[in-house]
Amino acid sequence: MGPLTPELSDAVADHMNIRRGEVHEVVSFYSFLRVPVDAVRVCIGPVCDCLGAKDVLAREQEQANGVPVLGVECLGHCDLAPVLLRGDTVEPEVTYRANDGPSTGLAGWDETLADYEARGGFEVLRDLPAPERIVEELKASGLTGYGGAGFPTGIKWEAVAREPHPRYVVVNADEGEPGTIKDRYVMERRPYLMLEGMLIAMRFAGAEHGFVYLREEYGTARARLTQAIDELRQAGHLDGVAVEMVVGAGAYICGEETAMLESMEGRRGMPRLKPPFPSEVGYLGRPTLINNVETLAHIPAILRTGGEAWPHVRLWSVSGAVREPGCYEAPVDVTLRRLIDEHAGGATEEIGAIVPGGAASGILPPAALDAPLTRDALREWDVGAGSAGVQVFPKSYSPLRLLAETMRFFAEESCQKCTPCRIGNRGMHHLLQELERGRVAMSREQAEEWLDAMAATSICGLGQGAPFPMRAAFRYWPELFAPLGEPSRMA
Amino acid sequence: MIRVGDTMIPMARTVAFTLDGQPASAPEGELLVHAAARHGVFIPTLCHDDKLEPYGGCRMCVVGVEGSPRPLPACATRVAEGMVVSTDSSVPQYQRTLTEMLLAEHLNPDPGGRPNELVDLAEELAAEAPFILPDAKREPYDDRNRFMGYDPDACILCNRCVRYTQEVMQCSALSLEGRGPHARIVPTHGYSWLDTECELCGGCLSACPTGAIYEKFEEGTERPERTLEKVKSTCTFCGVGCQIDLNVDPETQRIVKVTSEPHYVSNEGNLCVKGRFAFNFVHHPDRLTEPLVRGEDGELHPTTWEHAFRVAAEGLLRVKEEHGPQAIGVLSSARLTMEENFLIQKLARTALGTNSVHSCEAT
Repeated sequence: MGPLTPELSDAVADHMNIRRGEVHEVVSFYSFLRVPVDAVRVCIGPVCDCLGAKDVLAREQEQANGVPVLGVECLGHCDLAPVLLRGDTVEPEVTYRANDGPSTGLAGWDETLADYEARGGFEVLRDLPAPERIVEELKASGLTGYGGAGFPTGIKWEAVAREPHPRYVVVNADEGEPGTIKDRYVMERRPYLMLEGMLIAMRFAGAEHGFVYLREEYGTARARLTQAIDELRQAGHLDGVAVEMVVGAGAYICGEETAMLESMEGRRGMPRLKPPFPSEVGYLGRPTLINNVETLAHIPAILRTGGEAWPHVRLWSVSGAVREPGCYEAPVDVTLRRLIDEHAGGATEEIGAIVPGGAASGILPPAALDAPLTRDALREWDVGAGSAGVQVFPKSYSPLRLLAETMRFFAEESCQKCTPCRIGNRGMHHLLQELERGRVAMSREQAEEWLDAMAATSICGLGQGAPFPMRAAFRYWPELFAPLGEPSRMA
Repeated sequence: MIRVGDTMIPMARTVAFTLDGQPASAPEGELLVHAAARHGVFIPTLCHDDKLEPYGGCRMCVVGVEGSPRPLPACATRVAEGMVVSTDSSVPQYQRTLTEMLLAEHLNPDPGGRPNELVDLAEELAAEAPFILPDAKREPYDDRNRFMGYDPDACILCNRCVRYTQEVMQCSALSLEGRGPHARIVPTHGYSWLDTECELCGGCLSACPTGAIYEKFEEGTERPERTLEKVKSTCTFCGVGCQIDLNVDPETQRIVKVTSEPHYVSNEGNLCVKGRFAFNFVHHPDRLTEPLVRGEDGELHPTTWEHAFRVAAEGLLRVKEEHGPQAIGVLSSARLTMEENFLIQKLARTALGTNSVHSCEAT
């Protein structure tokens, strides 16, 4: 299959009886609708970049032989970095490193529904407590959205339950935050666990339709979920309800929940203005309960043990300069040192910087190795917990390069709609590139004004969160920014 | 009745809110930007267009709203009872910074002489671009049509033109293409406007706040729009009666372009290709400016209206007498109003006695 050419795009429009221009707008928004499916996609996300992705990209481009070779952002296989996708196949071969945590048990591999049921699967769904109880348990557990925004799950579920029917449930499986591999681990190793969480959410919300919005790059997860959904259907678990998979087409922004809804409705993935929130006005304008893959995967355990007794854990994706990169279940207040030393086999060389939770969470200096990684504790460090995508960078990798790559990523992935995100990120990238060449593109004071405007006036989390790494770098590596002059206030 | 999107809804109840510390009132659901303007508080906007659904993209109009963790766009936020809105110095101001950002990729502020609201804002706020982004340059676009030009280097991606084509014209002429730094607005697929559904109505041009889409002037008549004198008129091309402004060059006293304003009745600032671009007949040397009657020498000679009408009437009556009324057919112009067309058919049936009457508007 080839790319969607202008002619094909017009044919689609004519066939669907919609305007050609609108189809073109949608096709041009998504990276992978315009390249052949056998294209080679080389991940140039920060971890891959640190481990030599640019060389891989150059090598592939040299050997391309007519097949398009693209540099793309985080393919979600940071534990194997540097990594690439040749068509649908991941290189190097996929291996896993995970622990057997009490909540998600990722060391296990459920090959079939029978495997999952042998481990106690679907017991919770069979004896589901009343909705009020579920909300109580979720609140007691302290579970928050593990996609990155960290909104309390119990409050979100309660809000949807107040809205009129019909309601929808959507699983956000568009994992794209650089350095984050946890949702892929769940979907590939324990797809039934996520689906049980999803069915619990659907039963809770009284939703007849549920959707899994899966990023296109996750071919294995797609196959695993397709098989699992088929099995569930045959076993009667889906009687009276429909579970559908919607596959993305290469756009990081579609992980933002309202951009995802736009994408599901067949439009450009441009985030909606909020309020209203999806719990009130979501998919097709109906109240919609949206949860991240991992968040749902914890729910069977929470309802089994009770919210109070549930060990407050999450899945940590650990990658970069560590001996055993992988996905580990650990308490939410674990420290970086424990993650790196006790789970990931220790650092491979002296640590220079750590990104604690995906690109927008910020950048930490080695001094933060012993800080607990809770949202509250990290606030003092001016960073966020984000998606728990812990990326460990060696001292040899320049923080300026890490920052520049991060801002370039945000600029590339901005949907372009709002000024502060579309231009602010490019401006910051330009500032960093100039700084690397010893030039000053704008004063520190003005840069801070730009960051303030980005954080305050951007429409969605992409632009709002992008200033975090810049501000953290101002604070922890002030010497790098000395040429820009005095800060406008104490950081 | 007030307009909310495409629907007219009954006049809403009036609600009280607070604007910059002062009590204020507005119909419930009115857009903040309008409610504020009625209270004398002008909130700048770039991507907002009253004809279009709220967009909230440029963020120029963000204001503080109590209870909201971040500022909200006044162009997309509706007034509610008890809302506390701040636009003054009690809340952080972002307009200058946002203007700086837009200027950082605004390579050509004046491609076609149209007013540029971004440049106006920049002057008012004393905003300057700290640098020009290295990827600011967009692929140039050259269209072979005679009427409209487009310079992507003046575009601020407010998307008003595209939304105008989609929401008002319901056509597929322009697209917002790509994302991130590669986003641009072009006629669909980058084709010529002539190869899309475009009817060259120029509505996108009137929606553009920076003049990135502009009129192609007749050679030698280029003038900045603000130096032109606007003369109000009614378009003569059909019976709709669109209200137009003939933009006249004060030096040459020639019309150089036609514009229309959103508050004008019957067309709300919308025009068609003829109304906007087909004005050169006004100054054309072949234009008839007085009645002419062909003399016995076979040439046309100026005369009075009375004489001209008499000659025409005599001619028609002669045909009726010699060949009968059914030998006469009446074809009326699409440029006439309904009332004029009514009179034409009355003339045909009662005075001339023929039922063969037609208007080219019917085709």
